[in-house]
Amino acid sequence: MSTYDSTPDMNVKPVIENSNSVNNGRRDFFRTTAAGAFGAATVMGLVPKSISTQAYAAGSDAPEITEVKIGFIPLTDCAPIVVAAEMGFDKKYGIKITPSKEASWAAIRDKTVNGELHAAHVLYGLVYGVQLGIGGQQKDMAVLMTLNHNGQGITLANQLKDKGVKDGHSLKRLLDNENRDFTFAQTFPTGTHAMWLNYWLAANGINPVKDVKTIVVPPPQMVANMRIGNMDGYCVGEPWNARAIYDKVGYTVATSQDIWVDHPEKVLGTTAEFVAKNPNTSRAMIMAILDACRYIEATENRAKVAKLISGKAYVNAPEEVIAGRFIGDYDNGIGKKWKDPNFMKFFEDGKVNFPYLSDGMWFLTQHKRWGLLKADPDYLAVASKINQVKLYSEAASQLGISVPKDVMRTSKLMDGVVWDGKNPAAYAASFKIKA
Amino acid sequence: MLRVMIVDNDLERTKPLKQSLLDTGYEVVAHLKDTVNLDSACCEFRPDIVIIDTDSPSRDTLENICVMTMHDPRPIMMFTHDDDKEQMKLATKAGVCAYVVGSIPNERLRPVIDAAVARFEEFKDLRDALNEANTKLSERKVIERAKGLIMKQRNIDEDEAYTLLRNMAMQKHIRIGKLSEQIIEAAKLLL
Repeated sequence: MSTYDSTPDMNVKPVIENSNSVNNGRRDFFRTTAAGAFGAATVMGLVPKSISTQAYAAGSDAPEITEVKIGFIPLTDCAPIVVAAEMGFDKKYGIKITPSKEASWAAIRDKTVNGELHAAHVLYGLVYGVQLGIGGQQKDMAVLMTLNHNGQGITLANQLKDKGVKDGHSLKRLLDNENRDFTFAQTFPTGTHAMWLNYWLAANGINPVKDVKTIVVPPPQMVANMRIGNMDGYCVGEPWNARAIYDKVGYTVATSQDIWVDHPEKVLGTTAEFVAKNPNTSRAMIMAILDACRYIEATENRAKVAKLISGKAYVNAPEEVIAGRFIGDYDNGIGKKWKDPNFMKFFEDGKVNFPYLSDGMWFLTQHKRWGLLKADPDYLAVASKINQVKLYSEAASQLGISVPKDVMRTSKLMDGVVWDGKNPAAYAASFKIKA
Repeated sequence: MLRVMIVDNDLERTKPLKQSLLDTGYEVVAHLKDTVNLDSACCEFRPDIVIIDTDSPSRDTLENICVMTMHDPRPIMMFTHDDDKEQMKLATKAGVCAYVVGSIPNERLRPVIDAAVARFEEFKDLRDALNEANTKLSERKVIERAKGLIMKQRNIDEDEAYTLLRNMAMQKHIRIGKLSEQIIEAAKLLL
């Protein structure tokens, strides 16, 4: 059976030019007619005041290019890109964002590297992997801002529930007692989900490299793969954990915020070359998307955003599957329901979006831990090069959003180990379970 | 002999590629749809080259296999060799990408990639032609509707309405189809 049966839209080339499946008829009308046969006065009369009066002041800050194509993968956390484009936050800063739905992280990487995409909604670790040439060609990369914290998860197949697995410890017990290969899926070798899955397994005494088989499956195909018994568990972003419960094929054994409260997740990534050539456009993108993140963060806007991104052109999943966990209403599918205070966050007064160097460095420490890097890189130098702290700070300041003073932050992960970015090589070497 | 695996959700599309590779003496070890079993297929068939659509979701699966075997004696490399960026660009443009196992000399690899690029381009041309035909067809429908609106509003006949449309399109330097679209959109608001 082909997994395409359940995700038919992944077969078509999914660039969104003019999506009618979402409620943007009015904006499309402006796009197609503003420069057309009708006078500008007629059209301007119809433009909402907020847009016409807040036109970006042209000058030395004028964006070098005004139309930017930003790639994304169908996941709940692509919301900032979609909202920035669909709700006109881009126009306020003199740019037009065209979201471009991509079929794989590899495609996101290649199209960003060769300039077909100007920027992308991308896995934090992937950007660092490209910078260090892991598994492909090396290219100097840039992280403009963090898009979100939290909101990923680990799902186990229902047959494990029947064997009494309800947490990491009982999974470890099953692995010890059952003599067969266990298979786990994640989304990209250097990506965030690979690191959350590895960290969680290892914290439960399971070596992800030696004790289980790991495969990669594209996010929208996870559920279909689990249904036909291709894997025992997977780690992916929402809504694909909620979807497994909805479809009755699996249950949530851990959320990513269980592993690390307020962990960094997706970033707005591009190449160093793009930033060097287009600093103003880069800043405008950060501002538009920061504005969108602030909008999404407000609880009263979340239902509307869930509806917007659920469309076929974007996440392509039932609105109800997205909406629950989007506001912290969790149900693990095996009888536990709770209100999670650490649900997917997009703003928190800019604390989510600041490109902390310690966040970027963490992924390098895990790449080293799991053997993707043979030797310790110069952690701080790499992170300082990739994370555009200065550009971000300029953009945030212009919006009156506070910027943290310290480029490092301190976090305690699920195993009690503290990460503060201070001694990355020692931290990477400190783990008992490693490749 | 190089072992080639072709992965495409549209098997019809890559049939000619398979044939031409077979004709030129390559071994096509597998020709499969983007399936859930790509991982095990790679282990089973041990291809030297995997040809896949650039926009296939299954590419990430191959990426993982690349990275996981990166430090082995037989590394898998992305695309073609590093020194051949132009060819890589051509291939991606045509919508094809190749995952290559080991250090295969360029002169052996090139014909496979070239054949894939040629076949994918052929298909792209066909698809483009089809798209164009579809656009033209829908354009004609739009013009008919706009013409109808003008006839009704101005109480004129079909020829006159068309002449009006054509003249205005010429003045504005846009296609009649485009103008017709705008008229219909405006009519939705105004009428």
